This record gives sequence, C-alpha cells and structure tokens, in this order.
Amino acid sequence: MGKAKKMKGSQSFRQRLLLSTLSSTRITIDEIRSDDMIPGLRPHEISLLRLIETVTDDAVVEVNETGTQLKYKPGIIMGGKNLVHNCALSRSIGYYLEPLVVLALFGKKPLSIRLRGITNDPRDPSVDTFRSTTLQILKRFGVPEEGLDLKIEARGVAPDGGGEVFLTVPTVKTLTAVHWVEEGMVKRIRGSTFSTRVTTDFEHSMRFAARGIFNNLLPDVHITLDHRAGSQAGKSPGYGISLVAETTTGCYISADTTVSCLRTDETELDVEKKERLPAEDTGAEIASWLLHEIEKGGVVDSTHQGLLFILCASCEPDLSKVRVGTLSPYGVETLRNIKEFMGVQFTIKPDPLTGTVILKCVGSGLVNLSRKLS
Amino acid sequence: PLKENARKKNPNLMDIVYGASGSLATPLINENHDTSDDEESDEEEFFKPKGEQSKNLGGGWDVGYVNSEDCSKFLNYGYLKNWKEKDVCESIRDRFTTGDWSK
Repeated sequence: MGKAKKMKGSQSFRQRLLLSTLSSTRITIDEIRSDDMIPGLRPHEISLLRLIETVTDDAVVEVNETGTQLKYKPGIIMGGKNLVHNCALSRSIGYYLEPLVVLALFGKKPLSIRLRGITNDPRDPSVDTFRSTTLQILKRFGVPEEGLDLKIEARGVAPDGGGEVFLTVPTVKTLTAVHWVEEGMVKRIRGSTFSTRVTTDFEHSMRFAARGIFNNLLPDVHITLDHRAGSQAGKSPGYGISLVAETTTGCYISADTTVSCLRTDETELDVEKKERLPAEDTGAEIASWLLHEIEKGGVVDSTHQGLLFILCASCEPDLSKVRVGTLSPYGVETLRNIKEFMGVQFTIKPDPLTGTVILKCVGSGLVNLSRKLS
Repeated sequence: PLKENARKKNPNLMDIVYGASGSLATPLINENHDTSDDEESDEEEFFKPKGEQSKNLGGGWDVGYVNSEDCSKFLNYGYLKNWKEKDVCESIRDRFTTGDWSK
C-alpha cells in the first residue's frame, strides 16, 4: 500500500477517506482543529469512521487521545446486507450518504443499510434531494437502476433526530465515462415538503409560495406533502422543502432546506437569520435558489459538482466531458483532492458564451477488485 | 493595467484550481489566517471558535482553509433576484420548454 499520505486539518474529511479507500492509500491527518477550544474530531467524523469500518473489512483506524490526529489504513470494501448504523446527530444523514454511496459501488457485495439520525437539515442535501437528484446522477455513469434506492422510513430533524432511511446500492465493475454537456430545458418541476411534530400549515404555505414563483415559467409543477406523525416523525419538530427541476436531457437540478424549530447551536445559517422566516418565505426562497441554479446552467447543480467530478475521475480510462455552471468552492476542493489521490487532472475551460465551465478528464480506470474475487 | 484587469476578470481556471504552473497545487490555502487572526483579535473576538473565523472569510474561493467545514451543499446564494417579477423570469425563459425553441 506504500507510504501514508500526510495531510492536515479537518477539511475534505469525507473525500479524503473515500478517495483513500478507493485508491488503497493510507493517510495520516494531523492538526485536526488543534487550535480549537474543543480540539479534534467531531462526533459526526468519528461516526463516519465507524460507518466505514462497518462496510469494509480490515480497515485500521487510529485516533490519538485529543482526536487531533488520525491514521487510516483502508480495508476491503465489503458491502453487505441489512447493516445498521446510528449516525451522530452533529450532521444529518446526507453527510454520511454522500461518501457512502460511491464507496458502496466498489464493494464486494451489494449494500443494504439502515441509517438512523437526522434526515433533513439545512447544511446537507436532504434525503429527498438524494432520492430525486443524487441517485439520478449515478445512473448516468452506468450504475444499474435495480437495487439503487433510498426509502425514507421515518423523518427526523435536529436536534434529536429519530429519522431512519434504508439505502440499497448495487456494485459495479467499472463506471462508464460520460459526454454530458447539454443541460437541456426544464420540462417539469417536482418537489416535496414535509413536517414533523408541527402542523401541516407550514407545508401548505411553503408549497403555495414556491408554486407562485414558478407560475410565470411553466405549468408542470407538482409538490407533494409528506406530513409525518407518531413514530415516523422522529423526535423534534420541524419542516422543510426539497425541489428538483428535470430537463429534457435528463438533468436534475436540486434545492432544499429544512427548518428545525428547536435547533439551538448556531450554524452558519442561523447566524445570519436569527429570527425564523415565515414558512412562505422559506418556500419562496428555495424556489428562487432553484431558479438561480437553472440560470447558472450546467448538467448538475452547485451542490452535486463534487460527486460529478469524483464519478468522472473514477470511470474506465475513457474521456469524460461535462458542463457545470460556476465552479463551486466544494467543486474546486474536490478537483484538488482527486488530483492528490487519483492523479487525475481535469482540463477546465470557461465557455464564455453561456458563462458555464467545461471540464474534461480521462478516468483513472478504477476497477472493482473485490467484486472480481467473488 | 488593462491587461491585468482582463486577467483578473477572466482568470485561468486551471491556475485557480490547481495553482499556477510551478507553484504549489493549492495556492489558495489560507494558512496565514491563523497568525493574522491572532494578531488582530481583540478581547471580544478572543473566545470566538476558530471555525467561525473561517466562515467570516466570505466563502468564494476560500476553500483551502485546513479546518474548513466539510459541506457539499451550496448555500452562498447571496442576493437573490426577485423571481416573482415576470420580467425577471423572462431572462431564463429559454431554459424552459415553455420558452422560444428557435433560439
């Protein structure tokens, strides 16, 4: 496996673990929040390490006493049936799903896993967005539709969660390179609102406001309601909305958010908005985000750039060509991590006519070795 | 100076992402924030968790801060157009199947 790559800080934690595992590269991360009041790894990061240990064999994880240093030696990706993981509540399930779904593709066996925790949160893509958008992007790269699914068994918001999803991911031998530059035209908008332990009024307000925004643009808009009660509603009150625009060329552009009524810790979002917006403003805002993403162009939204680039770089050694809107900070970070771990450098050219960006790369030819063994 | 302006407006994306040829791969790592923040911090700021400082740096290209948050979700929408206005919607009409297909 060679010498361990040395890195610093908590940045790109998930991609580092993912790419380290996919490329069988040992890593040592130092100075993880070493100057913070509370230094070291956060509960969600520890929880992610446990999750990776659950789906792999022979991984070695060593954390020092203060949690500021991590040594990780990746194991073999196993997958497996009916696994269970309780996600730490400092981040939502979306945080865990993003690396997990890519990892699982290269497993020995198909994965089915029950994840418990927070299903909807403003900081991570919601489980609804994961269903409507993330899974669709995977299919573009040859991931079979059969066995690729996420069921939302119970919803849960911050701070106490109580949500539960059931994820199934098939394995692939390799991913197929894509030529994906036409974003097409938006033909319909779909979406859903949810509410847990609060009245459905919030959902109606968000839906009404969001529909109002789209009225000028197209008639084919459907936003469903998903009010949960009892054990399906988790432990905390909240509501949210997830929207997706589907184009004529099979692109999916997403926007979502969640309002957790009892959240106390100050996330980036709450700092700016101390007072909670009325639900109709939340609906209008997310609808506006969606139109903003559509305006930017590109075959995926800003949030999914990282996934798109990782999939391109993991493909069989053929040329992939994709178009995105403006490069997002997370997209840039991803491109750097890909170069570091996979040695794949993209050619990146702006398309001045549309204000979009074209990226090209030759896949690293990642082959699912463990699958071959079976 | 004109040339410089043009360069700033239209920076080479390869350089921004991977660093100008010859330099480090991540030229935008803001490791200096540590020192500068410490110097500037007055007592009020003293107990501010470090993570928040990185947030205050305004996002944008500041993705290299070694302890920056690991979030894929794009939230930096800033000022939003008033999409309730018909005229504003018209500007992206052609991105919809209801638009003018001949363009």
